[in-house]
Amino acid sequence: MMMFASDGFLTDNSSSTNTGQTHVFTSFPNSAVDVDDEHSGNKTINQSDSNQYTLPLPATANETTSEQYHLWQIEYYQKYFQVDTRQVVERLIGSITPRPNKSYFDSTIRQNPDLYGPFWVCVTFILTVAISGNIVDYFHKSATEFQIDFSKITLSALLILIYWWLMPTAIYFFFRWRLNRIEYTFLELLCIYGYSLTIFIPISILWIIPINWLQWTSTLIASIISGSVLIVTFWPTINSDHKRFSALSMLIILFVHLLMALCIMLVFFHVSDKNINPTTETTTVFTTVLSTTPK
Amino acid sequence: MAASIDSDQVPFLSSTSQTIDMMEGDMTSTSNRTNQNELSTLDEPVLDTIKRDLSAVIRKFGYAVIPRQSTTLLQQWDLWGPLILITTLAILLQSNATKSSTGVQFAEVFTLMLIGSIAVTVNSQLLGGKISFFQSVCVLGYCLLPLLIAAFINNILLYISTSSSIPILHIIRFLIVMAAFAWTMYASTRFLGQIQHPNRRMLVLYPIFLFYFLIAWLIILRAHPK
Repeated sequence: MMMFASDGFLTDNSSSTNTGQTHVFTSFPNSAVDVDDEHSGNKTINQSDSNQYTLPLPATANETTSEQYHLWQIEYYQKYFQVDTRQVVERLIGSITPRPNKSYFDSTIRQNPDLYGPFWVCVTFILTVAISGNIVDYFHKSATEFQIDFSKITLSALLILIYWWLMPTAIYFFFRWRLNRIEYTFLELLCIYGYSLTIFIPISILWIIPINWLQWTSTLIASIISGSVLIVTFWPTINSDHKRFSALSMLIILFVHLLMALCIMLVFFHVSDKNINPTTETTTVFTTVLSTTPK
Repeated sequence: MAASIDSDQVPFLSSTSQTIDMMEGDMTSTSNRTNQNELSTLDEPVLDTIKRDLSAVIRKFGYAVIPRQSTTLLQQWDLWGPLILITTLAILLQSNATKSSTGVQFAEVFTLMLIGSIAVTVNSQLLGGKISFFQSVCVLGYCLLPLLIAAFINNILLYISTSSSIPILHIIRFLIVMAAFAWTMYASTRFLGQIQHPNRRMLVLYPIFLFYFLIAWLIILRAHPK
């Protein structure tokens, strides 16, 4: 006779006894408890209430809580910030070392995308570009003419945030309409692109040095390194398409990445030979060095 | 027929026969009666209020500069100290406009600090810290005092040497501001670093580092006054 079992499903009464063909999970190991949540003692562990057909949770996942948070509560967004210091450092290092066979995205980010890393890498990049741009102005203008250019912060913020959001949007829609499947969620794409900007933070400090060839070569090298990390990440999914088309799309990704780096370098840091103002000592030294090098 | 007559209906029905038990009551509110030990702060003179609040603010400045006690700032938070500090810092960082750029104005610095405090606090809450919004803004504001002193010294040094750009002076200014920055970071680490899980402590401290770093650079790059 049909009756409702304790978990809510309509079952046959005769199958409530264990016939030996179905395995019922009744005990859950301790690894399902997340060690990060020890300090928040008010979260209840739902092990006794959960459906007896679910598998135990992996150790890195957040434990399920019994309340549903709303959009205006801050706990709703906590699920995007479930990372430790060690994991963030791992992802940062992975984004600047391109390995031909192993995509760091699959090994580190895929099961737990976060928004902490990309957001703060972007903010750091914006701030270092703005401060370094101001330092360049400080050394090139005379003491009475220099003022802090606050608009550099807004300009760099605009450029970098647009790049960080535009490329994932473009790739997401490209995957959805051209290839007809959602291979990466939007959050994972934001992660990839946010972490790919890591290498430009020390480069933007290097851009302060007003040597022309140094600026160009460092831009090229940095964008090739982080661009190749991007290519290694996207290659497995693109590769199933036509060969020519996949190579073209990889080139486009690399090209836009290089374009972004060049834009920032030219707008904020580039000192061509005719712009050097020979009023301060440092720039006269550089002009003499540059003019005496044999062409 | 109801056997019991409500006491407030009695005057309308009859006025003669029945003896009415007069109900007595007291019109004074219970709060004054039970809390007579507490000072009712609404009635005290204004000077007392100002003196008490001012001494609390100054005491919290002391705790922020020499971090010895870690509970008073968090439990009895107030926003007077941060307001005074941020306003003074914004006034000190103002600059005159030239033809190439307008420099930094009061509103820009103020907004920057406000948004920075909000961003750092929201980040700390998102990472699971059990601190309320205003407590965090309070601590961030109070720990700005060393940077304010450095900005003050910076302005004095800039006024002393108006047109000559002695390189040693730049280096002295840089070192003073960096020392104040390190002191500020140490103080806010003592307060805000203890409430986080140890695995995430650096993740919370890094935005605080960025916030104070930006303010330190605004102080260092301040232009010569006309």
